[in-house]
Amino acid sequence: MLSKLRAVVRREYLERVRSKAFIIGTILGPILMGALMVVPVLVTGSGGKLLQVAVLDESGVLQSQVEEALRAARRDGEPRFDVQPSGEGTVEARIAALRKAVVDGGLDGFLLLPEDAVGASAASYYGRTVSNQMDLSLIREKVREVVVSHRLAEAGLDPGQVNDLTRGLQWRTIRLSEEGEREDKGVGIIFAIILLMILYATILMWGQIVMAGVIEEKSSRVIEVLAAGAPPTQLLAGKLLGVGAAGLTQFLVWSLSLLVISLVAAGPMPGNIPMPEISPLILFSFVAFFLLGFALYASLYAAIGAAVNTIQEAQQFVFPVIIPLVLGLVCFPVILESPDGGLAVVLSLIPLLTPLLMFLRIMVLTPPWWQIALSLVFLGASIWGVLWVSARIYRVGILMYGKKPTFPELMRWVRHA
Amino acid sequence: MSDRALVLKGVSKSFADHVAVRDLSLEVPRGSVFGLLGPNGAGKTTTLRMVLNILGVDGGAIEILGRPADQAVRDRVGYMPEERGLYMRMVLEEQLVFMAAIKGIGRKEATRRLGPWLERLGLADWRKRKTGELSKGMQQKAQFIATVLHEPDLIIMDEPMSGLDPVGMDVMRDVMVDLSRRGATIVLSSHQMDTVERLCDRVALIDKGEKVLDGTMSEVKAAHGKNTVVVAFDGDGSFLGSLPGVAKVSDFGQYVEIKMSDGADPQTLLGEVAARLRIRRFEIVEPSLHDIFVETVTGHGKEAA
Repeated sequence: MLSKLRAVVRREYLERVRSKAFIIGTILGPILMGALMVVPVLVTGSGGKLLQVAVLDESGVLQSQVEEALRAARRDGEPRFDVQPSGEGTVEARIAALRKAVVDGGLDGFLLLPEDAVGASAASYYGRTVSNQMDLSLIREKVREVVVSHRLAEAGLDPGQVNDLTRGLQWRTIRLSEEGEREDKGVGIIFAIILLMILYATILMWGQIVMAGVIEEKSSRVIEVLAAGAPPTQLLAGKLLGVGAAGLTQFLVWSLSLLVISLVAAGPMPGNIPMPEISPLILFSFVAFFLLGFALYASLYAAIGAAVNTIQEAQQFVFPVIIPLVLGLVCFPVILESPDGGLAVVLSLIPLLTPLLMFLRIMVLTPPWWQIALSLVFLGASIWGVLWVSARIYRVGILMYGKKPTFPELMRWVRHA
Repeated sequence: MSDRALVLKGVSKSFADHVAVRDLSLEVPRGSVFGLLGPNGAGKTTTLRMVLNILGVDGGAIEILGRPADQAVRDRVGYMPEERGLYMRMVLEEQLVFMAAIKGIGRKEATRRLGPWLERLGLADWRKRKTGELSKGMQQKAQFIATVLHEPDLIIMDEPMSGLDPVGMDVMRDVMVDLSRRGATIVLSSHQMDTVERLCDRVALIDKGEKVLDGTMSEVKAAHGKNTVVVAFDGDGSFLGSLPGVAKVSDFGQYVEIKMSDGADPQTLLGEVAARLRIRRFEIVEPSLHDIFVETVTGHGKEAA
């Protein structure tokens, strides 16, 4: 008996795992994740060459100080600017020459400080590239510093003293949990939302794969041959287990990659890449809530697939199934705002929302264990109930061709199967 | 061991709006090739599906190979549905091994058995190809292999010949005869009367869910009497229809087929015709299964109406 179930599971698993979509999704996923975290830092980081810039000062008081400040400017401990002379002659002639140099590529850009640069606190930068925000803001910061010191000096204040008195606040946020403390650099929430999106998309995707599989077996009449060999409950179980195992494979690959990425990033890396917290608990929940969500939603999808004849017909039934998932997704700001609030607790205990929202809560704080346990009890009971109903609809539905059933008809199938 | 491969006792099945099968009883002896006939919508497919436990019965009982039909005994049954039931994206070999596994045969064993079958049905070159790349006829043959790979004792086929070219039909017929000689029992449903006539030693005809005819081929034919005469002649035969004892005349151009009314003597007819026309051929023939089918179904339809 079990050998038949095993045959179905094996077939389903191999068919999914061998598909191009699976291979691409599984391999590309971690690469994309890694790229998302590391590449922006590397690209904007210290890798670039020195910018060739010139300073043209019409005010006549800032030139040397600005040049000096730019030469001294450091990002990630590396100098960024190589200051070139701004030429001789009238202002107009020098501007024209600098413009030409920038366009021809001799210079990356030049800084124009107007006559009343100090009074109006104004400056402009002309460059071939103006999208290198990190460099530009560094230039701006340096010019501002010089201009402000001049204004302070004019007002009779000591720039050094003022700078010292008005320096910025040293601010850190630290998350406390049973596992200890960990500094949060603001990427935790973004990471949580990304994982939430992945969970949402994959539960939906794998559910739809189950549905498409059932419809394919129905429309190709394979199901008749299968039903003559094994009981429908085994066919349904085999499909859910096989497809679920394929989904699990994907999640394990992703989770392991995340773990590797986090380990690598924790080591010596150029610059200071802000890494989100990737704890074993989060990775475990990530996989576990995918499996639970899949079990719940794929059972519903299987029942829909059995009830209809074509994918098109299925859309009408799919809609009410997707709504809770979408709802779970749009609820995330509520959870983030107050992950331990009454609303968050209640929402995360609703079985259709648990896979997304309890996971989100686990990511942003560690909820009391009884809440996690309760949500799992509710979810488990719901999965059992949905499976029971789905198995009955599946039994009848797989051999029903022709008219799409109405909801009362579906209820009758459930009662009589 | 029972000498009946399949027994249906008063089996009934209703769907929401109509009765598909009504109090149907059938006995299929072991080793026989049994033809289940009937017009479209007669309940053939429903009956076969009940035998396979794809559909549950509303009433009555089904015995397979001498045992009440449970899952274990169903593994000794092979079923070929009317429409092809194959995964189009699956490689042929994997598909057939999977189908055998569903019937409880291990992968190694199934792979071992597969070779000769593919060879025999001309699919050996397609072993590693996707099923969707096969022609319709080849898929039909693949489906047949899927039906018999687990070496069932009872083979049930719904319209096995549809979609095959004449060569393919001959190959399939040879294989079926072979399986039958080796002791397998074959139950097939078909519209193609000549196929059934040549292959089957027993037939049952069902119409509107009820059995209207059942027996060995010779019994069925005997019951319909040797009351058909084929006459070929020169001259104008338009008077034939008005002769005494003639129930119906079908003109086929080269010859006419005369159906005698009950109790009429063909010998008398021969005298009448010989007196007026030059006869080239005069033959008393068995009614064809085709005629029996049409006659019975039309008669049954009138009764029901």
